Amino acid sequence: MGGKVSATLGEIKNRADFIMYWGGNPAECHPRHFTRYTLIPKGKFLPNGRKDRTMVLVDIRETASARAADQFLQIRPGKDFELITALRAVVKGLPVDDALVAQTGITTETLHDLARQMKQCRFGVIFFGMGLSMTRGKHMNSAAILTLATELNAFTKFVTLPMRGHGNVTGSDMVMRWNTGYPFGVNLSRGYPRFNPGEYSTIDLLVRGDTDATLVLGADPGATMPQPAIEHLARTPTIVLDPKVTHTSKLARVHITTAATGVSAPGTVYRMDEVPMPLRPALKSPYPTDEEVVLKIIEAVNRKAPFAPRAESMMRTV
Amino acid sequence: MIRTAPASQDGLTIVPHATCTFCGCVCDDIELHAQGDRIVRAKSACSLGESWFKYHTAERNYPDALIDGQPATVDAAVERAAEYLHAAHMPLIYGLSNVTCEAQRGAVSLAELIGAVIDSHTSL
Ligand code: SF4
Repeated sequence: MGGKVSATLGEIKNRADFIMYWGGNPAECHPRHFTRYTLIPKGKFLPNGRKDRTMVLVDIRETASARAADQFLQIRPGKDFELITALRAVVKGLPVDDALVAQTGITTETLHDLARQMKQCRFGVIFFGMGLSMTRGKHMNSAAILTLATELNAFTKFVTLPMRGHGNVTGSDMVMRWNTGYPFGVNLSRGYPRFNPGEYSTIDLLVRGDTDATLVLGADPGATMPQPAIEHLARTPTIVLDPKVTHTSKLARVHITTAATGVSAPGTVYRMDEVPMPLRPALKSPYPTDEEVVLKIIEAVNRKAPFAPRAESMMRTV
Repeated sequence: MIRTAPASQDGLTIVPHATCTFCGCVCDDIELHAQGDRIVRAKSACSLGESWFKYHTAERNYPDALIDGQPATVDAAVERAAEYLHAAHMPLIYGLSNVTCEAQRGAVSLAELIGAVIDSHTSL
C-alpha cells in the first residue's frame, strides 16, 4: 500500500500510547499481537507497558478483544465510512450534524471525546481489519482511515497498519510490487504489467470464464470461492502446488505435493508491517519446495516456443 | 548471543528462534522441538501457532504428484503443467499467501514468461 503513513511493530511497541483497532479481532485472529507488539510490552518510552497505553476498539459486535480495550465503540454495520468522515471533520474542528452522527451508533459527545484523545496522544496507531476493508465501502473505507491518520499528523504522530491475515500475504504484495509495480491482480498478457482490480481479480476472471488455465499456489479456491468460479476451475486445466491434496487438487488436472512453508521449507516471509523474516524449518520434507517446482515449470516452459518474441531474438549484433 | 543452529540430543532436534507463519504476526521467537518427522513442541507459540506446527509433519502422506487423479512423478507433472500453461491464451496464477517470497518471485517470472494474470488473496 503505497503512500500510507506507517511504522514497524517495533516502533509501535516502543512509542505508541494510543492504540486503536478498527474492525478486527486480534484476541482471536492474531493472538500474540497484544502481548508481543502493542498493548502489553514495556517500551522505551512507555516504561509501564499496559498502564501507559490507551486502547480503543471499534467494531460492530463485542468480540473477545473488547475485554482488552479501555473503550469499546459499537458501531452500526456498514457505517464505518460515515463514522471515519465525521471523525475527520471533528478532528479538524468542523461542525457535524448530530443526526447524521447518531446513525453510526455513536453519540456526538463520544466522537468529540475520541477526537480529543487522538489529538492529545504522543504516538497513535490505527490497526484496521477485514471488518473495515471487507464491508460496505471496501477500499474506500481503507482510503478514509489512511487519510484520517495522515491528517492527524497535523496534531501529533499517527500511523496506520492493516491487520493482514494469512501467513505471507504481505510478502506477495511486496514481491509483486517490486517486480511489476502493482501489488496484486496484475495482467502480464501483453508483455507489460496492467492493473485493474475488479477486471483482473481472480474471482471476476473465473466467474466471467476469461481464463483457460490456472496455477494455484498455496491456496484452496475450490473450498472458498463462489460456485461459478469453482466450476470454471474444474472446466479448464488447473494445476495445484500444495503440501496437501486439497479440494482444488481434486478438481485439478495436475497436483504436485510440496514441502510446508516454515515447517519444512526455508525462505523469507513478510510480517504485517512489511518487515521480512527468515524461516527456520525444523523438519526435512520428502517433497520439493514450491520454489523448486516453480523453477522446474519455468525450465519446462522455456524449452517450448516463446509466447512473445524474447529480447535476445530482437537484438541485432553488429 | 543468539544461537540459531539446531541442537540435537536423543533424536530430539531443537530449533531456537523459529518463525511461525500462521498469522500476520509472524512471531520469530518460537522454539521448535522436532522428533523424527513431526514437531512435538512449539515453545512460545500461541495455541493457533502450536496446532499449525503440529499439524504439518514431514510424513509421506500424499503421492508426489497427481495427473488426472492418478499418481505420477514430479517430472511428468511438471511437464504436463508446462504444457497447459504454455498452451493457454489467458493463464492465471493465483494464491501466493502461504508460500515464501522466493517462490512468489519465481511465480512472477513464470507469469511474465507465459503472459499470465498473477493475483493473491489481497484481491478477495
Ligand atoms: S505464534 Fe500465534 S500470533 Fe504468532 S504468528 Fe503464530 S499464530 Fe500468529
